[in-house]
Amino acid sequence: MKRRDLERHNLERHPLERHSLDRPTLNPVLVGGMVIAMAGLLVDLRGMVSPVASGSHHEACQGTVNQQVTLSREQLAQLLTVPERDSRDRITQIAGAPYCQLQNIQVRAGVAAERQVYPLAFDPQTRLVILYEGNEYAGYRFSFQ
Amino acid sequence: MLGIALASNKPPIKPPLQRCWRNAWTSLMAIALLGSACSQAPRPVRTVPIQQSWELQLGSTVGKHRIAGGLGDISIEMKGDRVYIPFDGEVQSNDIPGCYIYSTPDVPAYLFRLCGLKSGKTGRVRSGDSLGSADYLHFAALRRQPDGTWALVEPSKEMLERMISK
Repeated sequence: MKRRDLERHNLERHPLERHSLDRPTLNPVLVGGMVIAMAGLLVDLRGMVSPVASGSHHEACQGTVNQQVTLSREQLAQLLTVPERDSRDRITQIAGAPYCQLQNIQVRAGVAAERQVYPLAFDPQTRLVILYEGNEYAGYRFSFQ
Repeated sequence: MLGIALASNKPPIKPPLQRCWRNAWTSLMAIALLGSACSQAPRPVRTVPIQQSWELQLGSTVGKHRIAGGLGDISIEMKGDRVYIPFDGEVQSNDIPGCYIYSTPDVPAYLFRLCGLKSGKTGRVRSGDSLGSADYLHFAALRRQPDGTWALVEPSKEMLERMISK
C-alpha cells in the first residue's frame, strides 16, 4: 500500500476508532461501587461494626502476686494429663503455688469457685487459668492477651 | 493491510445491552469485594455434647411446636431487656437454632448457652458488651466432664445477675 493510500486509510479509520475506544461512560453505579469498594479496602470497618478491640485484657489479680511464678513446658504437659474432677492437690503438686488468684465467683448454685493463674514461662502473654470447686479441680482455660 | 481493512469494516462497538450487563457485573463484583473486605473470619457453629439425655430436649418438637427451653434451662422474663457479657470471651452460634454458646477464659470448665435472643452477635466479646435483647431468655450453665461432654448444672444467681445487668 502506498503512503498516500495509508494516510487516507487512517483518516477513514479515525471516526470509527473513537467509537471503538468505547468511551469510558461514567456509569454512576459502576463508579459508586468502585469508590465504596476502595474505601472498604482502605478502612477496616470491623472494629466499628462490632467493637472488637485488639486483644482482650486479663482479669485483674486479687491479693498477693507471686511475680516469680511461671509454668514450664514440662509442668504444662503434666497438668494437661490431669482429668477434671481430680483433686486440687494433684494440680498443686505439679504446678506449685499460683502466680495470683482471681476474684472468687459462684458459677454453679451453692458452690464457690476459686480461680488461680499461672503465666507460661515460654509465652508470658498467655496464662493458664485453673478453676477449683472446693477440693476438686474443675478445669482450665488459656487466656491470651 | 488486510487486517486494517477488516478492522475498519467491523467496528467493535458493543451493543448497548451487552455494555449494560458488563457494567452491572463489574458493579456487583465491586460490592462483593467490599463485602469480603468487611466480613469477619467465619465462626464455626459450636456443637456441645450434653451429658444428660432427655426425650424432650431443647430444639426438638412437640406436635408442631419447637421446645424453647428444656430441663436444665432457666427461663427469665426479660421483657425486651438486654443481655450482657460478664467477662471477655467468645460467642458462637449453637447447632440448636436460635441458641448461642458463650465461653470465657476467665471461667474455665464452664460454657453458657443462651437461647431466645432476638438477635445475637458472634465472635469475640468484651466485658459489658450487649449480646442482644430477649423477651424470654433460656439460660443454661454447662460444666465440663472428664469425658468431654458437658453437664447441665444449676447456675448461680450471681452468674445470672452478671448476665442480665450491666
